[in-house]
Amino acid sequence: MTRAPYRIHKLIQDMMRDPAAAARFATDPQPIFDQYEISPEEAALLDSGSMEAMTGLGVHPNLQMKYLRLRHSGGDGAKLVGAGPLDAYLDRLLER
Amino acid sequence: MGKVIGAIAMSHIMFPPDGIEEQAERVLQGMLEIRRRVRALNPDLIILAGADHLNNFTLAMQVTLAIGIADSFETLGDGGVPVSRFPGDRAFAEAFARFAAHHDYELVQVEEMRPDHGTAFPKLVLDPGNAIPTVPLYINAAMPVPPSPRRCYRLGEVLHRFVEEERPEGERVLVVGTGGLSHWLRMPGEGQIADAFDKEVIDAIITGQAEKLAELSSEEIVAASGNGGLEMIAWLFAAGALPGARGEEIYYEAVPAWITGMGAIEIRADR
Repeated sequence: MTRAPYRIHKLIQDMMRDPAAAARFATDPQPIFDQYEISPEEAALLDSGSMEAMTGLGVHPNLQMKYLRLRHSGGDGAKLVGAGPLDAYLDRLLER
Repeated sequence: MGKVIGAIAMSHIMFPPDGIEEQAERVLQGMLEIRRRVRALNPDLIILAGADHLNNFTLAMQVTLAIGIADSFETLGDGGVPVSRFPGDRAFAEAFARFAAHHDYELVQVEEMRPDHGTAFPKLVLDPGNAIPTVPLYINAAMPVPPSPRRCYRLGEVLHRFVEEERPEGERVLVVGTGGLSHWLRMPGEGQIADAFDKEVIDAIITGQAEKLAELSSEEIVAASGNGGLEMIAWLFAAGALPGARGEEIYYEAVPAWITGMGAIEIRADR
């Protein structure tokens, strides 16, 4: 299977660890793309969001999900905490 | 000598019940049944093995097998699992890392990490009060080159020997492997559920044939059950901790709305 150039994976991993940069990336990605030497073609494939395009680039599946969160969570993409998928079960899971 | 008093293998996430309320309730009841069984087993210590999802271990340094040695761990809070802190067991974890190194496994010892849902969700199910010291063991199925299924099974055997040979008389250790079952995450095939393969996995382990199952390669498991399905190598670890023992299915549900096969088994030390 193709593996994406590391600069793509590094961009995603770095944004996940830097909420301020992630907030900038959500609204104005081009400077970050430039910083990580992401070509316009690569940026277009990434921002298509499609599994086929991102897999074609070789983006790791978990990092595909993180990328989508970074670009579409209103600047909070690096935050993993929040109202979530377990809410319907939490009273019983927490025995409260 | 200590004793491995049982092993559990279980999926490690749930999603909202919208539109599949009855099926989601069956999954939740399966999770709560796991909790009841853990209480009946009354372990002193849990070894909780599963995958990180590139939250602590990234492609910057591709760690495959690791053990959390810290005194306690604060969870990451992803997957909807509330952030909490649970006790580890430094003495157990460091001693096991040393024992494992004498038996062909170098485990990366980790002081600093925040366990993600792969550890935190099962921990919530197993021990909601965070009362039982729990050593996280990482079998990172998401790494580009994951550990082989056979080595995961055999690492479980090494843990069994460690508990029997080096742990204090009467110590009760529960081994848990988490992840799976079949799901294709952001790869071609996404949306499939390999329920027949999932049932083969469950049947093989509960009939004491996990070692044979572990002869499959990682690539064969991914082809049969998706990249997420490969997380079952942590089930093989749990099975290896009670070599040849039998068990029973707690629940299985193929959940199309969650694009995953969900399941759990208990392997019993007395069978």
